[in-house]
Amino acid sequence: MFARFSFIAVIALLASGCANTSPTLGSKNISYGDTKAVETVTNEFGSTDLQMIAESMTRSLAQSGILQGRPVVQVYDVKNKTSEYIDTREITTSIKTQLMKTGVARFASDNTAMQSQVDQLKLQNQSGLYKKSTVAKTGNMIAAKYRIEGSISSIVKRSSDYKDVFYKFSLQLIDVESGLAEWMDEKEIRKTTER
Amino acid sequence: MRFKFIAVVALALLAGCATPPPPEPGSAASKVVAMGKLKNIVVGAMRVARENGFMTVNAQLSNTSYNNKTFYYRFAWLGPEGFPVAEEETWKSQMMYGEQTRFIQAIAPTTKAVDFRLEIKTP
Repeated sequence: MFARFSFIAVIALLASGCANTSPTLGSKNISYGDTKAVETVTNEFGSTDLQMIAESMTRSLAQSGILQGRPVVQVYDVKNKTSEYIDTREITTSIKTQLMKTGVARFASDNTAMQSQVDQLKLQNQSGLYKKSTVAKTGNMIAAKYRIEGSISSIVKRSSDYKDVFYKFSLQLIDVESGLAEWMDEKEIRKTTER
Repeated sequence: MRFKFIAVVALALLAGCATPPPPEPGSAASKVVAMGKLKNIVVGAMRVARENGFMTVNAQLSNTSYNNKTFYYRFAWLGPEGFPVAEEETWKSQMMYGEQTRFIQAIAPTTKAVDFRLEIKTP
């Protein structure tokens, strides 16, 4: 009796030892990495460059003291003057998100979101589908006091031994009424590959 | 005589094992979190100021080697309770020439930050 009981206990222990308790499923070749790590896979524009640019520009602008009283800002697309394909909208989205988190500015619909905004206003006011008291009135949108625009350019040099890429990102804050640039900053990045 | 010798050796061993005293709270050293032993990079004086409500830090770093050295760093921004007030910063790579001394500057992402930590690592 005791021997049979011991045998069952040993089998149960072995079975529980073999059970997969890891909260993972799938191949061991795939892993999640640190999204904030310095990425040097190639010397093309990468995640670290995007993060460094957004971080540096946002903090410089927020700390400058220009944005007093949470003014309304409109963000324009960053002009890509490099020879690479860069999704510059992601740079402006990161800058906008981080500025929003600091609480120093409010943002007007930018040029890509404007069409959706206008469509929604038209739909609410012209379709007759909505209850009058809940309809957003036209003519109440807040105009931007400032606009943010920027550009990214690069200089690429190659030799038999080296590939050197120099990125320059510029961002400026312009007063819409006066047209004056009230704040401007640059971020330079150099990446060199030795073959 | 033999007992004295053993006692001296034991004391010397114990002294060797003793951990260095922790840095004084509020000192520059208390703000540095070195991930592993720093090779040839020394963190010096730090200047902290508040500009337009945002905490700004200037830290002096020196390369003690004759060769160029790269290090990685980032700042963590803490609130009054000692907890982070913003998401983690991206790691930055910085090259220093042989025997160079330079300053790294950082601005807090929010006005809520009252303290910071400099995380630093050498490859």
